[in-house]
This record gives sequence, C-alpha cells and structure tokens, in this order.
Amino acid sequence: MAVDTMTASPAVVDESVPVKFAKPGGVLAALGLLLVAIAFAVVGGDDTTTIAFDRTLTDVEWALPTSITVALLGAVTAAGGAWMIIGLPKRRFKLVAGVAVTAFVLGLLFWAYSQPGTVFRAESILAGALFLSLPYLFGALSGVVCERSGVINIGIEGQFLMGAFTGVLVANITGNVYAGMVGAMAAGLLSTMLLALLATKYQVNQVVVGVILNLLALGFTSFMYDQLKKAEGLNSAFSIPAISWGPLADIPVLGPVLFNQKIFVYIGLVLVFVIWFLLYRTRWGLRTRAVGEHPAAADSMGVNVNRLRYWNVTLAGLIAGFGGAWFTIANSLAFSKNMTAGLGFVALAVMIVGRWNPLGVLAGALIFGFTTQVARDLDASGGSVVPGEFLQMLPYAVTLVVVAGLIGKAKAPAADGVPYNPGDK
Amino acid sequence: MSTTDTQAPAADQPEAAEEKPNFMRLFGRYLTEANSVMVTIYSLLLAFLIGAILLIVSDEYVRSTYTYFFARPQDALTASWYLVRDSYIALFEGAILNLNMLDRFAAGNAEFGDLLRPLSETLTYATPLIFTGLAVGLAFRAGLFNIGAQGQMIFGMLGALIIGFGLSLPAVIHLPLAIIAGAIAGAAFGAVPGLLKATTGAHEVISSIMLNNIAALFLVWAIGTDFLHSETKTDLITKPVDETAVMPKLLSGLSESLRVNWALPLGILAAVFTWWLLSRSTFGFRIRAVGFNEHASATAGMRIGSTYTTTMAVAGGLAGLAGAALSLGVGSAGLTTNTALEYGFDGITVALLGRANPGGIVAAALLFGALKAGALSAQPDVPVDISTLLQAIIVLFIAAPALVKAILHLRTPRGGLVTLEAKGW
Repeated sequence: MAVDTMTASPAVVDESVPVKFAKPGGVLAALGLLLVAIAFAVVGGDDTTTIAFDRTLTDVEWALPTSITVALLGAVTAAGGAWMIIGLPKRRFKLVAGVAVTAFVLGLLFWAYSQPGTVFRAESILAGALFLSLPYLFGALSGVVCERSGVINIGIEGQFLMGAFTGVLVANITGNVYAGMVGAMAAGLLSTMLLALLATKYQVNQVVVGVILNLLALGFTSFMYDQLKKAEGLNSAFSIPAISWGPLADIPVLGPVLFNQKIFVYIGLVLVFVIWFLLYRTRWGLRTRAVGEHPAAADSMGVNVNRLRYWNVTLAGLIAGFGGAWFTIANSLAFSKNMTAGLGFVALAVMIVGRWNPLGVLAGALIFGFTTQVARDLDASGGSVVPGEFLQMLPYAVTLVVVAGLIGKAKAPAADGVPYNPGDK
Repeated sequence: MSTTDTQAPAADQPEAAEEKPNFMRLFGRYLTEANSVMVTIYSLLLAFLIGAILLIVSDEYVRSTYTYFFARPQDALTASWYLVRDSYIALFEGAILNLNMLDRFAAGNAEFGDLLRPLSETLTYATPLIFTGLAVGLAFRAGLFNIGAQGQMIFGMLGALIIGFGLSLPAVIHLPLAIIAGAIAGAAFGAVPGLLKATTGAHEVISSIMLNNIAALFLVWAIGTDFLHSETKTDLITKPVDETAVMPKLLSGLSESLRVNWALPLGILAAVFTWWLLSRSTFGFRIRAVGFNEHASATAGMRIGSTYTTTMAVAGGLAGLAGAALSLGVGSAGLTTNTALEYGFDGITVALLGRANPGGIVAAALLFGALKAGALSAQPDVPVDISTLLQAIIVLFIAAPALVKAILHLRTPRGGLVTLEAKGW
C-alpha cells in the first residue's frame, strides 16, 4: 500500500537524482569480494560445474570452469554494491540490487555444484522449485486474505494438516482424487471458521488462539491417523498425473517448468492473479483493505467490519486447505503425523517477504521453493560440503533473516490482529 | 498473562438483592458463573466430553454398531459407553493408580513401590513441563509469546550433556555445574528472539518457531558427530553422562524402578523463584509493567528492548533447565532425538492453563504430565495423541472463555470475563 502511494505521487523529479545506499551497497560489495576470494583460494583451478538439460535435450551438457565463473559473478555482485555506495538513481535501485543478489546466489550455486559427480540438472531443479514453492504460495495467499482483513492467521500450519489429512481420507472413501481436493478445502474452511468466529465474535488474542488451533489440528489428525490405521484402506496414497501441453512441453527449460506440471501449479499461479485483482481492483478488495487498515473508518462508511472479517477468514481457509492437499495428493503420499513440518509458519514469513501483496508473495514463494529444491538436490547427490541437516535448515534460516528485517522493513496492515468492537469507538 | 475486562458486568443485579443470600444459593450462583475457576473446570469437562465423542466416532467397531442404531440402539450405546469408559480408565491407570496392581498389593503380591509407579511416571513427565511452562509463562507476563521453549530446551539438553560427560569432577560440583550449563545454553538460545524483537522488531513468534526447527535439526546433526555420539552403540544415541552428573532418583529407597528424580523439587524451587522474581523483584515489576503497557513503561523511563532480551534470556534459562533435567535424568542411557518429546510445545498449553501464574503452572504441569503418562501407558489401545488433543481443547476453552460461556449459557461474573489481551504483530 505504502509503495503504491509513493509511485503514484508526482515526486518524479527526485527519482533520477543519484542517491547513496551505503549499507546494502557495502554488504553486497563485501559479499562479492568474498565470492571472488573463494573463487581463487578455495575452488580448485581445474574444477568444472556441469549444467544439464535433463528433460528435453538429454545429450547437451555445458561444463563451465568453476573458478572463473564464480569470480566473474562475484565481480558483478561487488560492482553492483560499489555502484550503490557511489550513488545511483533511485528507480534503478531495485534492478541493481536484484542483479547483484542473483549473481551472488548463482555464484554460490556454481561453487556448490563444482564437486565431482554433481550435475546441475537445470530443468528438473527449476520445475521442482516451482512445485516446492506451492505450499508457501497457498499458505501465504491464505495469510494475505486474512491479514489484509485485519486478522492474524498463525494457524495455517494446522489448516495444512487438516487439509492434508482430509484430502487423503475423502479420496479414499470416494475413490476420486478430485473429491479429495474438495474435501481438503472443506476441512480448511471449517478450521478457519473456528478462528474467524473466535477472532470476530469472541475477540480473543489471535496469535495465542492460532497456536492453540495448530496444536488442536496436530492432535486431531495424529489421533485420527492412529485410529484409522486400524481400518484398511482409509489412508492409501492417491496421485494425479502431470498435465502435458503437447509440443509446448518440449521447449527447453520453459517446457518442463511451465507446461508439464500438476494441476496444483496452475491453480496456484492463477490464484495469485485472481487474488491480486480482487484485492486491488474490486469493491470487495477496497473494503477488505479498509477493514484491515482502519476498521473504524470502514465502519463509518457502512461496512460491517466483523462480518467481512469473518467471511474473509473463513474463505481463506479454502486456499489453506487446498495447500494442505498438496502435501498428500500432489506429492502422491499417504498422510503421516505432522507431515507439514512447520511449512505453514514459513508461509507466514513468505507473506511478510511479499509485503502482504499476492505478486510479492509469488516472488517470495519462488525464492523459498528454489532454496528448498537446491538444498534437497545437494543433499541427495551427496556431493555437498555442508551436512544435510544444515541444508535442511536453509528455509528456516532464510525466514529468520527475512523477519529480522535485513531485507527491508515490512509493514503489516495497521489493524492486523486488533479485534474490532463497534461499541469501543 | 496480561488480563483485561472485555465485557461489562451483567445488569441483573437488583433481583439478587431482594432475596436473602444463603450458602447454597451463592454456591449455585458461583457454579453457573463464568469466573476463572468454573471456566477451568468446565473446560476440562468439555474437553473430556469432546474427546469421548472423537473416540466413539473414530472407532471402527463402535461405528459399525451405529449402522443399525434404530433397530437395536442398546448395542451402539453400550459399545460407546464401554469404549469411552475403558479408554479413560486406561488413562487413569497409567497416570494415577493401577487397579490391578492395587488388588495384587492387597493380596500381598506386590510391593508398595509398584503401586506408586503410575504416579512416579506422572511426576516424571510433569517435571520438564513445570520448567517449560514457567519459561512460556514468564515471557507472557512481559507481553511476549515464547513459543520457542522447545528449541531452548534442546540447547539446554546439549549444554548439560557436554558438561555431564566432558568433565571429571566430584558429584557435589559436577551435577550443579551441568545443570547451570543447561540453563546457560537455554538462556543464550532464548535471548535471540528477544534481541531480534528489540533491535529489528521481528515478531518473537515467527523467529522462535524458526529457531525451534533449526534446533531440532541441529540436535539430529549434533548427535551424529564423533564428539557426542555413543562409542558403543551404532544407532543415533549420545554418550551417557558421568555417574557424578546423574540426577539422583527421589524414591530409590522404595523401588529402583520409580523414575521420578530430584529435578522435581528443583522444578518447584524454580516455580517459587519465578513467583519471587515476578512479584517481589524490581526486574519482575519491569516485566509486568512492559507486559501491561509498553508505551507507558517507555515513557516512565524503562528500556523496553533490554527488558525483552533479558526476559527471553531468563525464560530460555528455565526451558534450558528442562533440558538439563532430561539430559541428566536419563542416567546411563544416552540422549536420542526422541528424548525431548514435545515438552517445549506442551509448555505453551501448561502456561495457558496455569494462567501464567507459577502456582497454576505447577498444577497444570501435573495435570498434563498425568495425561501424558496415561496416554503413553494406554497406547496402542488408546491413540497416544489423545493427550495432545485433550490439552489443545482444554486450553482453547481457557483462551476463549466467552466460548465456554456461550456453550453452557453461563452468566458473566462481576468484573467481566478474564481473557488474554489481544495484540497485533
């Protein structure tokens, strides 16, 4: 919101005047120089990094000399940092920062994949990254709808669990995987309805109740899992096929990533734009944002604050529940206890990175998905210098860095988490 | 826990003034009022009722009797009754008193120590809960939601373990030193979210959840390292602590199999210390003032940031003591990834049920310790997660007393309902 008003304001003149960004510039310059130092001191002179296109062009492999590539990428990072220190037009900042950070990450990747026996299978990894970003995407989108309406939903983890469990259960009972997805959404809806009721009608502390609802979902699904295990065939894995878009699926890189994925990917991507459109271009969106920023003002304009909040939070449960189905149905897995492993909380961090905006959320989810995919791939290939547990820590560590605001101050909707009592004002 | 009045006292007072109040009338009035004692009692009753319904619904045999409910209802009703009765009796026998053992003891076939075993198990499981409950409760008083007790406890476990086997000292020094090491390790880890909140404004809930995940992975890695891993066993288990650092058993005079150890009195001591700290010390006054109104406290010259950090450090130290109690309590066996169970997360429910009062926390820890002991001994007949489920339902009602009031049509007590104050990010 704050960003929108800034770009819309007529202060265009200031944009081209060079501004110094000493702090982020210094950090990037130092990281870039570190990368150059690593390239010459740590990486062996003959090491190569192999990039393969494993899905479409199986016979093509590019072997690049690691030390030179890493050093070049480090130089790009350092140059970006230096430009920021000297001063650059404000509108260029995002682009330069993006290029510098990307160069740094690529440098690290080239270094990590330089061990003999490891191959950067570009297509599998990028397609996997998009697929792994989905739980973050669904969770964060659900969070966006709730928090834009002024209700903190820390119970996404629990809604994931309920969706994951119910999805498999319904699919097993009906024998139809799509019925399972609908069941997962219904389970998500019912669990957020409880939060919505407590947050609006009973005005409880939303963070505390969210944590309790997570515990309740964990206890409920684990309890039911043990009980239903005794009966046959209620928790068997169901899977859905990937949708292949014919010749489009054979395009190198783009084909496997975008045109040969499961339906979850397409629903996720469409949902991002639908929610963005609804939030910023419709009357419902305006009211929702108003209720999250200044409920008293919205109330005086005739919006029923608590009723809007109630329905928004309840409907957000559909998204979180569908995200729950990702864990079981999209991954072709049966339900197991606590299988969401804290990803619902990481999704909250993605929401914060995305600044409570669906498009930002998409970018954040992709970054997290990519991190997770690379960590998994390195762990599986066994060529990593770092122990697997530390690689698995990556998404959590990134979240910690993000919420600590090192990437920039994130501003929540003003009335987020504050119950609205019409009688108070 | 900062409390606040959410609803004005009911206006039905004049009617009471006309009649002469006698004891029974006052007592009846008390029973139908949503005061904190009755809300606690009704929360427990409702939780066990919901637990019973879930047991019935999820049991395959009992469910089958409901298919011909209208033909022979007595089948379904007796099956349900026996299932619920047997399940709850199994919990009771695992937690308080084994009735079979009582018969054998009366016939002279069992020792008095055998009779005490369920109680000893309850106290053993309650001990870490006292510490983690205090860790969450203390932070609550400063307006902080310390959800990171699990991670703090894991680091306390590691700290106490390393001193426990790393040094050779006489028991008089070794045991206290190992306990203190656990507290320090927990405090150091606990201070991080406080420090992050103080310096960057990162919400402690998100950062401590990430730290929990990081700690859990770190534990898996640490146990596998040569430094910690057992020299004699091949599975993932650590070296045992030295004899001089083992926490002595409390009732070894009665029977060696009674596991309850001196960590229990230590826990009660910690509760007394926390009570003193909160209600008698300057530091405690600052904690409560910041928790009640941080802006007013800042205006009064208190340093909010440093209060956050030190409170989280003390809370982390308390959780670290739970870890030390576990590390030093397992005796000659080493630690596994399983030793920590979910004591840290259960600490949240303990603190909520105990309403963040040290005395209440001890009582809540005993109740949840009993649930845990009962559930662990009653599995697999009763799903082990029934303890998590019941805990979550109980504290859900405790956190939302208005829900209990609405379900049971209770009256609003004089002074209003006692609820947690709601805060935003």
